[in-house]
Amino acid sequence: MSQPKITPSTNLTKPKLDLSSYGPFIGLILLCVIGAILNRDFASWGNISNVLTRTSLVGIIAIGATFIIISGGIDLSVGSLIALQAGVMILVLNAVFGTLGASFATILIGIVTALAVGFVAGLLHGFLITKGRIEAFIVTLGTAAIYRAVLTQLAQGGTITFTDPKLSSLFEPLYYGTPLGIPVPILVFLAMALIAGLLLNQTTFGRYVQAIGSNEQVSRYAAINVDAVKIWAFVFQALCVSIATILYVPRLGSASNGTGLGWELEAIAAVIIGGTALKGGSGKIFGTVVGSILLATIGNVLNITSLISEYLNPAVQGVVVIVVAFLQRNRK
Amino acid sequence: MAFLEFVDVIKEYGAVRVLHGVNLAIEHGEVHALIGENGAGKSTLMKILAGFVAPTSGEVKLESRRLQFSSNTDAERAGIVLIHQEFNLIEDLSIAQNIFLGRELKRGVLLNTQHMNLEAAKALARVGLQLDPRTLVRDLIVPHKQMLEIAKALSRDAKILVMDEPTATLTPVETDVLFEIIAGLKASGVTVVYISHKLDEVKRISDRVSVLRDGHLITTRETASTTQHEMASLMVGRDLEDMYPAKSIPSRKASDVVLELQHFSVPGWAQDIGFGLYRGEILGFGGLVGAGRTELFEALLGLRPRSSGTVLRHGRPIQIHNPRDAAKAGLVYLSEDRKGKGLLVDFLLFQNLTLSNLSSYAKPLLNQNAEQRALEKARDEYGIRTGNLAVAAKMLSGGNQQKLSLAKIMQLEPEVVILDEPTRGVDVGAKREIYFLMSALAAAGKSVIVISSELPELLGVSHRLIVMRQGQIAGVLEAEHLNEQEVIQYATGLKSNLGQHNPVNA
Amino acid sequence: MKKILLAFGAAAVISALAFGQDTMKKSIIGVAIPSADHGWTGGVVYFANRTKADIEKMYPGTTVIVKTAKDAAEQANQVQDLFTVNKIDTLVILPYESAPLTTPIKNIHDKGVFVTVVDRGLTDESAQDAYVAGDNPGMGTVSAEYMGKKMNGVGNIVVLRGIATVIDNQRVDSFEAVMKSKYPKIKILDKKYANWNRDDGFKVMQDFLTRFKKIDAVWAQDDDIAVGVLKAMDQAKRKDIKFVLGGAGSKEFIKKVMDGDPLITADVTYSPSMIRDAMNLTAKARVTGSKMPVKTIIPSVLVTKANAKDYYFPDSPF
Repeated sequence: MSQPKITPSTNLTKPKLDLSSYGPFIGLILLCVIGAILNRDFASWGNISNVLTRTSLVGIIAIGATFIIISGGIDLSVGSLIALQAGVMILVLNAVFGTLGASFATILIGIVTALAVGFVAGLLHGFLITKGRIEAFIVTLGTAAIYRAVLTQLAQGGTITFTDPKLSSLFEPLYYGTPLGIPVPILVFLAMALIAGLLLNQTTFGRYVQAIGSNEQVSRYAAINVDAVKIWAFVFQALCVSIATILYVPRLGSASNGTGLGWELEAIAAVIIGGTALKGGSGKIFGTVVGSILLATIGNVLNITSLISEYLNPAVQGVVVIVVAFLQRNRK
Repeated sequence: MAFLEFVDVIKEYGAVRVLHGVNLAIEHGEVHALIGENGAGKSTLMKILAGFVAPTSGEVKLESRRLQFSSNTDAERAGIVLIHQEFNLIEDLSIAQNIFLGRELKRGVLLNTQHMNLEAAKALARVGLQLDPRTLVRDLIVPHKQMLEIAKALSRDAKILVMDEPTATLTPVETDVLFEIIAGLKASGVTVVYISHKLDEVKRISDRVSVLRDGHLITTRETASTTQHEMASLMVGRDLEDMYPAKSIPSRKASDVVLELQHFSVPGWAQDIGFGLYRGEILGFGGLVGAGRTELFEALLGLRPRSSGTVLRHGRPIQIHNPRDAAKAGLVYLSEDRKGKGLLVDFLLFQNLTLSNLSSYAKPLLNQNAEQRALEKARDEYGIRTGNLAVAAKMLSGGNQQKLSLAKIMQLEPEVVILDEPTRGVDVGAKREIYFLMSALAAAGKSVIVISSELPELLGVSHRLIVMRQGQIAGVLEAEHLNEQEVIQYATGLKSNLGQHNPVNA
Repeated sequence: MKKILLAFGAAAVISALAFGQDTMKKSIIGVAIPSADHGWTGGVVYFANRTKADIEKMYPGTTVIVKTAKDAAEQANQVQDLFTVNKIDTLVILPYESAPLTTPIKNIHDKGVFVTVVDRGLTDESAQDAYVAGDNPGMGTVSAEYMGKKMNGVGNIVVLRGIATVIDNQRVDSFEAVMKSKYPKIKILDKKYANWNRDDGFKVMQDFLTRFKKIDAVWAQDDDIAVGVLKAMDQAKRKDIKFVLGGAGSKEFIKKVMDGDPLITADVTYSPSMIRDAMNLTAKARVTGSKMPVKTIIPSVLVTKANAKDYYFPDSPF
């Protein structure tokens, strides 16, 4: 996220600060001011931590989506993937709990299960898109349907839940825990944002992701292993979903057909609001973080006030999204 | 009073002034050449004429009336048509649909497709193209697209036609056709403004020539009384020493062969190609557009499929499946398509420079200071001129972009450097610098292959020249024997020395 | 209309004759329902498949074909296929949406297929022979009566709505009507959509808890929403809320009622088993020739600890 440091021996000037990139941030601040005026409890720590915790699930997914979108791809399967991962994770935990009990091993198995499902799904996407030469849109549209259907089959149309309440209490700290007074999901979200920022701006992988999104041909001619970079980007996205799953499962301890419904669009919206171009090439993790918080905050402000008829709530979200997009649009 | 007049035209982009009060008069019915290095302001001046941009101050007068266009459409309606250097065609529409774009012929509310196709065929015939007007532009080869642009402009009944580098992609035959068309237009009273880097063409076609340098109009002269050398000197503002560096032909022992291709074929493009490349050699590849040169080397780099052939490095066969394999084997390729395949135009300069060998800057996090230092070094070594190094590649002029591209591929420290049209769209000064860079590479023991459509350049820099025709090697010529006539005879099939088949000793 | 009556009469006569000869009429019954996209429809699929087996056993020779659709368009195609490919003479359908399916259903109804519509009525009632539905207004009424009584007519409540549909409106409107007329001292602090799912239930309840410092009870209307509500309360450690009323009769919540959960004291049924009732009634009418009532409303029932075990189906996914 930092600008390249420039040695004093050169006459380089820093690129001019671009106000348009602060659009979502300004939007968020405005929204917070309005929220605080309408309801004093908006600014309470309880509410802020509620909103940020809520943000973190979609936010972590959106961090992965930032890479995919910068690389010029799209992943429509993340909402279904979190449902499948959550379902599989709960089923596996139900199965092992009898023998392992409330142990660290159980927690580890849960986490590994989610990561493994994510890893396989990411590889599958990456290979179908690069080696199979199918559009990412189609591949992930297809897998989205498959994941959700498999989950529904596993759930027999119902809801998969922890069979033993002790499992619930074993996992609950992963969502409800507050080390240093801050909920775990917020800490994980923050850590993921920092790691992703580093990955995008300070590693060859991040540079390649941007290069491929900017011009795939040029990247290929520049001796970049384009296919490998794309595959890893999809794996990274799916692993982000895994981490979101690990935080999601402890919240309600259940997974059903409705889990993660529409989250892919929310994640993509957060990325775009954050200033990443849908056509790829460049983008900012910080923008995505702000975009995710902004989206969650709109819903929160509407919920804690009765200004607008409940029927019109979605319209307000639509208006805010468009206004923010307007603030951060590229000047031609 | 002149027919078309620019009066004190000033144009500023932000704080940068690109035109410093240009006064230029163009007479009715003349072919007026406009020359100058890249960035001299030629394109900006013509964009003002064609209504794409408005001048900051000053005015343009046509027959003493002040022109004020709010858009290019206004200008076209007034009979001023600009043919861009980059094609303004919609790839997925047909020829006829492109010609009539925005002014479709109708029958009632419905499009009159038949009529448009008929008219389009006539417009094509005017530029000597015999193509089905229903062909998609996507399926046309580049020279045909250029001719289509001209046909499209002609069909708009232009009074003033501005052509920006129209022959950059044309073959000699097509260039001749274009010049006949220009002569015809002139005879029928159309005024033509002709922008080109090719001074021989300027000499051939224009009545008068104006020289722009750094946003100033330097002079306007009668073409007939100005030599090409004078034009070049006026453009760069100093006397040009020799354009080309001195040649020092390297030794050609069998052990000096660094790269050899045997029976190399690319489906649809090249058949049974064989040649050897020596250490320290500059090997030119000539031929007409479409002779298969670019495709041959793209296939060598694994960028397109090949059907057969062996590649030897220092006598040992190697496998190249993609540019990474090639880079490992010490081969790099600079594409002719700078914006499409060469540079990330939206990326910063240092990001472009280090793209191919980025991992050497990662430990494991990228060391951007080291990348900056590499850029500063490249700037000095390759003479990349820019006020600000922290800009996107698209902000550089064509010549400086090309120098950056060269610096970029050299980051891989290759032994064999393949340059495809390295001076396309580059001004005279930068061209010369690129020739000297190539010479320096060869002197340092690298081997250079240069593909070019500009014969003088090929003759000027190559130690040896291979001429390709219709996917085959038509001749291998030594530097001593090179002259343009002979090369053209090989390129067009009038001559061939294919009989000598041992490529290395050819 | 006359034509339908005639056809109906003829069918009755024929089946009566058939019955007289001691052979039952063989029927091909198509059952078109939404796919299991949330808990309640999951229950519908479960009961439909179970009832298919029951009917085919009870009436040998009768075939039941169950089709699930993920949207209205797919269901419309299924209706056509059932008629042209499977040659059904009877259709039991829980329409994905009423309006877009009315015409396709009417088309095959006009060609002589007996149509029973479940839960969501068609916009043109002449396209259906029978209508079997749960009682949405009743669900609101029963819920309001229970809450009003349990709160002794005084207190603050919040309402979590479902998805903006006719069903949701009917429930909420009748709920509010009862509260207004019979328990005017119960104040509805606010009502927001929670879309019949757990995650939104959690989110909306979190914000209600931030906003309202004193809430006496929650009408979550639906058991899935109630799951989220309970988690949010748990997280906020709020003790002011005395009970949460869900709805639809999921096995999880019926179990809680049965076990005497302090917060889940009751539930109100709106059971997916209505598809079972509709299939049974239709099959009986078609095979035996008996007449089927034009409209059958399956009432929403208050489930308390006393009667909970009658409504507990541990095998059902819902």
